[in-house]
Amino acid sequence: MIDMILASQIFNVDLLAASIRLSTPIAIAAIGATICERSGVVNIAMEGIMIVGAFFALWFSALTGSPWIGLFAGLVFGGLYSLIHAWATVTLHLDHTVSGAVLNILALGITRYMMVLAYGHPGTSDSIPVTLANYRFAVPLLSDIPILGPSLFNQTPIVYIMFLLVIFFTWFMKKTKVGLHIKASGEHPYALETIGVSVYKIRYLGVIISGLLGGVAGAYLSIENQSTFTEGMTNGRGFIAMAAMISGGWTPIGAFLAALFFGFAEAFQLRLQISGAVSIPGEFFTIIPYVATLAAVAGLVRKSKAPKADGKDFIIEKED
Amino acid sequence: MVEKTRTTPVIAAGLALLVFFGGWFVVTGHGWGHLLILAAWGGYLVSAWLGIRKGSSAAPFHTPLLTSIMILLAVYGIVLYLGSYFWGAFLIIAALGVYALEKGLKDGKEILKESLKASLKNLMIPFFGFFSALIIGVFIMLATGYDPIESYAALFYGGLVKNWSVSILNATPLIFTGLSIAFAFQAGLFNIGAEGQYYVGAMAATFFGLYLNLPPLLTILLIILISGALAAAWNFVPALLKVKTGAHEVITTMMLAHTARYLSPVFIRTFGGDPATSTHAYVTDPILETSFLPRFKGFLPDTNYRLHIGILIAIGVALFVHYLLFKTRIGFEIRAVGQNPNAARAQGISIGKNIFRALLFAGFLAGLSGVVQVLGLDHKLFLNLSGGYGWNGISVALLAANNPIGVIFTALIWGILDAGGQYMIRVTDTPNSIVEIIKGIVLFLIVARYIYVYLGNRIKRRSLRRIEAKNAAGGRA
Repeated sequence: MIDMILASQIFNVDLLAASIRLSTPIAIAAIGATICERSGVVNIAMEGIMIVGAFFALWFSALTGSPWIGLFAGLVFGGLYSLIHAWATVTLHLDHTVSGAVLNILALGITRYMMVLAYGHPGTSDSIPVTLANYRFAVPLLSDIPILGPSLFNQTPIVYIMFLLVIFFTWFMKKTKVGLHIKASGEHPYALETIGVSVYKIRYLGVIISGLLGGVAGAYLSIENQSTFTEGMTNGRGFIAMAAMISGGWTPIGAFLAALFFGFAEAFQLRLQISGAVSIPGEFFTIIPYVATLAAVAGLVRKSKAPKADGKDFIIEKED
Repeated sequence: MVEKTRTTPVIAAGLALLVFFGGWFVVTGHGWGHLLILAAWGGYLVSAWLGIRKGSSAAPFHTPLLTSIMILLAVYGIVLYLGSYFWGAFLIIAALGVYALEKGLKDGKEILKESLKASLKNLMIPFFGFFSALIIGVFIMLATGYDPIESYAALFYGGLVKNWSVSILNATPLIFTGLSIAFAFQAGLFNIGAEGQYYVGAMAATFFGLYLNLPPLLTILLIILISGALAAAWNFVPALLKVKTGAHEVITTMMLAHTARYLSPVFIRTFGGDPATSTHAYVTDPILETSFLPRFKGFLPDTNYRLHIGILIAIGVALFVHYLLFKTRIGFEIRAVGQNPNAARAQGISIGKNIFRALLFAGFLAGLSGVVQVLGLDHKLFLNLSGGYGWNGISVALLAANNPIGVIFTALIWGILDAGGQYMIRVTDTPNSIVEIIKGIVLFLIVARYIYVYLGNRIKRRSLRRIEAKNAAGGRA
């Protein structure tokens, strides 16, 4: 039996804070993927976009000395990289999954080559002196709320950005015209085209939003959670984000809640592993988030419905 | 006719067994195995001749004669070439000549010419893409300050000549994972977690290799079948979820891939790995020698010591997958489900059954990759044994447009680039990550294929419009 002291070591205020920290990259990427799929484009390239964002965020932080410029670079390069996906799937009508897979592979090649150019060796980069974690701040008043306060309102910048993104995109998808167009583009693209809105443009927009957010999610890994870039550091988070998107029923708030669950699984296994409460090999804990993802997808997928035209090619004869 | 249907399958099975055992004795270093193969050839010719005399076969005798000569030349030529006996190329060319002769005799010269043209045309786009990727590589190297001519010379000398055996060793596991992903793609499924099935196959092969002590041929066959089956079982849950709930296989197989990857260190520690010692930290005990795959060295003394017959198994499996996909009912059903599930359902083809077939067989193939790697090359399980063969299999399959025969060649190209890249960093100061970039650009071949269609359509549309405008103008006048 696990005694009470150990239990209190695992289940404490820190667990919630750590869950939120670990769910941040997943949540941001999942919101991006949600917008992308609502517009009708399947984006399995999230993993690749995140790794590109992570590299450029770190590299620009190192070059300029400011992690804020690094964050901006992660945003921009994630967006640029996703532009390839938009071009390939929307303009060239390439299969969405194929394009995503190619971009995931290409991202590994690009980051490896850039690593050699920037640092002279593949693997792990030099660490940057100032990360975004140095800009941790507590929101006055709110952070004094017991239990919830310290974990929600005493965090690092990108965590706050995540909260804002959840609120913004929930509003954006429900209340703005563009948001409704994005939804229509994923459900009834031909109807949208007949009312004079370009489905191509809306889908480009959806993919680029996912790229921007994917870049930020990657930046979180390299310049906030850590201070170095390591090849393959996303470690399947792009795919977990897709699982969060599905489990969350293709809504920003659902994606956030699902990501929180995966973040909790990760934080919980880390704590369990460190505490040494159970004497089985640590790897059995490491797989918990992946198995949890599998279970969540298995249990929730039937209840959540994908956009009707998700992944369906849209072809229209254009006068050019 | 009646007699043919009764006897031929029996004879064919007998001849196939003769060839199989002949081949096995040859690769295990018993030269008289060649005699069995020759006997099988003779037996085939006699049975073909008898069939023609009895009138049960309408083909003239030169058809089976030339076909069998072509196959013999091709097989011997390919094996020699793979074993760094480069004069095997002459046998391959001779086999192509015989093929052309046979086709020319059967269909006439015109059809021969046309099919030659068609196959050249099919190769145009891949060659064009590969070539342009190399040219873009030149610009990247010039821009970042490396000598492209020297680098490419080293890359191709290393990949094709000096480290040819390494190229083949790289290509072998890639053929299996490429086949796995290509096979699933034919059913419209993306087996992105081939890496996980690779690990399961490798772990199972190590386990049985440690404990199964039977005669070599039997051991190897058993290990291949059991470990492959276990790797297939690793895909059971994704297949079940796909059929029952519609959960996307990209996510489920991916999560299981990470799971298998993280479980492998536990396996290694259980079977001999000891992190406390520095020499034996992340390796299992070596497997028994009875389960080693035979090496090329046994029958071709001048080849690299490490080269094992996994590549021959891989090519054989690729041919089998091609046969399965394009010549059998099962393959037809799988492709029908992949191309249009609704139409397939309307024809009475069960979608769920074919999803199971495709994902489980894909798991089996990816598992074989790990099995062959353990039995042939490493003889033990290392931590991070896989050089990303599961992930690279995706590129290989996409590049081959999911054609099993194509996978052999694209896997070889990947293997050559990797081996050449390793040689390149030894003799020049160019980083071998340039190889990764070239690979990425070559991959864009796939996209490029659509670019041609896209540009072609634009040009066509424009000229159509011009004609229409002209007609309209003419009509008015």
